[in-house]
Amino acid sequence: MAPKAGGDSAKGNSTVYKDKSKPTDIRLSNINAAKAVSDAIRTSLGPRGMDKMIQAANGEVTITNDGATILKQMSVIHPAAKMLVELSRAQDIEAGDGTTSVVVIAGALLDAAEKLLQKGIHPTVISDGFQKALQMALQVVEGMSTPVDLTNEDALLKAAATSLNSKVVSQHSTILAPIAVQAICTVMEPVEGGVGARVDLRDVKVIERIGGTVEDTELVPGLVIPRRPANVNGPHRIEKARVGLIQFCISPPKTDMDHNVIVSDYAAMDRVLKEERQYILNIVKQIKKAGCNVLLVQKSILRDALSDLAIHFLDKIKTMVIKDIEREDIEFVCKTLGCRPIASLDHFTAENLVNVDLVEEVNEPTGKYIKMTGVSGGRTVSVVVRGTSGAVVAEAARSLHDALCAVRCVARRPALLAGGGAPEAAAAAALARAAIAAPGADHYCLRAYADALEVIPSTLAENAGLNPIETVTELRAAHASSAASGAASGAGVNVRRGRVTDMRHEHVLQPLHVTASALALATETVRAILKIDDIINTVN
Amino acid sequence: MVSLNPIRILKNEAEEEKAEIARMSSFIGAIAIGDLVKSTLGPKGMDKILVSMGRNSGQVEVTNDGATILKSIGIDNPAAKILVDMSKVQDEEVGDGTTSVTVLAAELLREAEKLVEQKLHPQTIIAGWRISVEAAKQALANASFDHEKDMNEDRLRSDLENIARTTLSSKILSNHKEHFTKLAVDAVLRLKGSGNLKAIQIIKISGGLLEESFLDEGFLLNKKVGVHQPKRLENANILIANTPMDTDKIKVFGSTIKVDSMAKIAELEVAEKEKMKDKVNKILAHKCNVFINRQLIYNYPEQLFADAGTMAIEHADFDGIERLALVTGGEIVSTFDSPDKVKLGHCKLIEQVLIGDECLIRFSGVELGSACTIVIRGATQQVIDEAERSLHDALCVLAATVREPKVIFGGGASEMLMADAVSKVAARTAGKEAAAAEAFAVALRRLPSAVADNAGYDSADLIARLRAHHAQGESTMGLDMEKGCVGDMKTLGITESYVVKRQVLVSAAEAAEVILRVDNILKSAPRRRGPDRRPC
Repeated sequence: MAPKAGGDSAKGNSTVYKDKSKPTDIRLSNINAAKAVSDAIRTSLGPRGMDKMIQAANGEVTITNDGATILKQMSVIHPAAKMLVELSRAQDIEAGDGTTSVVVIAGALLDAAEKLLQKGIHPTVISDGFQKALQMALQVVEGMSTPVDLTNEDALLKAAATSLNSKVVSQHSTILAPIAVQAICTVMEPVEGGVGARVDLRDVKVIERIGGTVEDTELVPGLVIPRRPANVNGPHRIEKARVGLIQFCISPPKTDMDHNVIVSDYAAMDRVLKEERQYILNIVKQIKKAGCNVLLVQKSILRDALSDLAIHFLDKIKTMVIKDIEREDIEFVCKTLGCRPIASLDHFTAENLVNVDLVEEVNEPTGKYIKMTGVSGGRTVSVVVRGTSGAVVAEAARSLHDALCAVRCVARRPALLAGGGAPEAAAAAALARAAIAAPGADHYCLRAYADALEVIPSTLAENAGLNPIETVTELRAAHASSAASGAASGAGVNVRRGRVTDMRHEHVLQPLHVTASALALATETVRAILKIDDIINTVN
Repeated sequence: MVSLNPIRILKNEAEEEKAEIARMSSFIGAIAIGDLVKSTLGPKGMDKILVSMGRNSGQVEVTNDGATILKSIGIDNPAAKILVDMSKVQDEEVGDGTTSVTVLAAELLREAEKLVEQKLHPQTIIAGWRISVEAAKQALANASFDHEKDMNEDRLRSDLENIARTTLSSKILSNHKEHFTKLAVDAVLRLKGSGNLKAIQIIKISGGLLEESFLDEGFLLNKKVGVHQPKRLENANILIANTPMDTDKIKVFGSTIKVDSMAKIAELEVAEKEKMKDKVNKILAHKCNVFINRQLIYNYPEQLFADAGTMAIEHADFDGIERLALVTGGEIVSTFDSPDKVKLGHCKLIEQVLIGDECLIRFSGVELGSACTIVIRGATQQVIDEAERSLHDALCVLAATVREPKVIFGGGASEMLMADAVSKVAARTAGKEAAAAEAFAVALRRLPSAVADNAGYDSADLIARLRAHHAQGESTMGLDMEKGCVGDMKTLGITESYVVKRQVLVSAAEAAEVILRVDNILKSAPRRRGPDRRPC
């Protein structure tokens, strides 16, 4: 199966007569579309990667470096390009980090596949070859990983810092990384009888606030409600608070059926007003009797959750009241405070309230919010992300999310790899060696896969202004020599120093799960694209 | 005086196509449909991207399933429509072989076109085909085998595994076919021959890899337990209901309450609450410790249930509660006045489990012991959807095989075998039918040929070799798509369900016959519609 000159893609294997060119054309068009997507975000890979500014249809501007976010906003039309967008989303769901890398790898693999197709290798053969290559690459990557103890916060910190280093907020990685690690460590639940720990990211609430700088970002071991109290002149700070979460309303009564109050004369009007006052007063008295001084009220769509009169009374009994807690958030609030929701007034008793050490209203130029600390529930945390502008805050929150995911990945599969393109380079070196011994078309496939993997170190170098050819060849030599000596090498592209060094000494470490899942997902998508030979418009 | 104007019989705009024109349009339509799905055939078959137009335009689906492709394309050709309908029926009847049946019918028509050109009357061709179908059916039945005599668990299992592997190898799951074969066979064997696929629930959760899909022995419900209620219960008595849990409103349009004081409204509000409480008490009188409602359970009843230590699950969808009623053996109730007459569902353990990022409720040890749930994980929605379709095909085939445990060899062996039998009959037949029978054999051989083509092998060469083997009586020889050569299907363990194969043969022949008999196509005038003046 020798390479053909000219690269006439319609002509294939010399022994088989090909009568159709459409499948080949479709395949090439798919590959080109997908490659275009990958090229679009290639420059944002790595610590020296550039950011993209995206203007949405409504004029809103997003500045980001996160592959998944860029692609989500890009609104591509071509079906194959859409598959790459899906791929990056899948990586976002699965690992949460490495969303750019996964698309760049997929683009490189497609490029390699295109060349193999031109050699006349059948797409299913390439697809199978890539699958074999993936298995080998995963073995290599797993082999060079080092297991981590989850109690070792230092290792987790490094993983979070590596993830943050490639973001806009990289200069604040010393602040954000510990926050991410601490947040995950708080909500982590060890898996019984298994490896790693289970982390539900819904237990970490990230609240974005404009004002201050990213350095002011803080972790609150308790509850943060980004809203000011409903009180007019109620208390702003309560120590040793008794908190109640209610699901009923403190407003004039309302039945499920439509109702009319018919007022026939002036005296009746007076009576109605008085009764309303009495009704609300009753509720407030009950609240006072139970000893509650902080009240959280669930949002109600059918009627006012709090009438003005109720606020007035609650002010008088010096109870802080916060309204519009969404029904979906009730579970989170309960988990944080360790309380139970109260759905009717008869249940509003002292034993259904919980103690919180401090509830305070924090005053900031851009708005007020409520902070509750010293809660008895625990197991959830809130992070308040700050920044000078909406775009910065949003990007900081996205970066923090990636860092949280990176730490979560370590928790799920406690192993770390050297960063800086080291795992890709090592896998490429191993595959290139394996290719020599492999017979038939597999030889070409393995070699093409190996070359494609080098796109990561090469792009890292390119984005950092280094000479990609020199860097990649140097890296190749480092891995080849270490393979000969039998030791796993951690050599990678050191962007800060501008040369190839052992990344483990630089403390650039990334979770194994991110790299492994990126390789697996990218290969799966490329194989899916290769298998497609027709695009059909359907009516529905 | 004879008018030269043709006499109009049909309405304006109605169309008529006659004789060779009609036949040509049928042939062209059917062959186009056949060619469309042909490339998806076999273990190395290609996939198609389906791009939706219209309402949910831009949505992308990647699939290899013939029925799905044909279902989604819009067709204007009547013959093509017949093939699409046939593939739908195949999907409903046996679940698999939807592509094969379409391709076979199209190939038959391609051959018929040539025969008509050679001045064979369509009825003669049909007569020839009927002889061929009989011969092919006979040959297929003779070649099929089962382990009726020494049937045991292991034998059945290995048979089913082989069939599942063959079916799955042509789908997206081919990479993980061992894993999914086990899943599908386990699920079907749990049914204990009942073949009730409804008891197998498939849940799709995105994230994770395909290998992380698993079979859960129980029932999973994608809902949440109410706040502050027990999250784990043993020996549950389940009351399944479809009832509104807010106050029972008077369902008369515009009913209102007229009062003259606030206190009265407050009283009414309390009364409404009391009604809710009454209802909850009535429900609790059923001595159930789990209450599952299709509609919302509001905050107040939720709290009352929590006080009673009862697990209450709200907003379980229609499908969910019907299946739940089936597997737990309970019945769905809407009134709660006679607790003794209501049948409660039972299960050993209810608990919350976390799969991926989703929190589900698991009912294990349910009354209907055969019930189980397959959870499919996958990277993207497209992958999961396609995996579900593939798994569904495999389950259908397995259920059909359990009902009739006859199997035959796959990999093109059975097609070659049938073609051989038909050729032999053709040689013995005197008259023009022989030509039609010979054409039938050619069409049958096109199926393995397409399989080989799709994998990029030299089909002309492979089929010629295969034919030679079959001529020497080696009827177990077929295509080995891993190596790209002719191999013994018996040693490779590639088997298919006899029922599916027979169904493919019979329906394809029937559909082709129906299309071939047509010599006139009438298209009625489109219904007049007023201009669309709606704002867009």
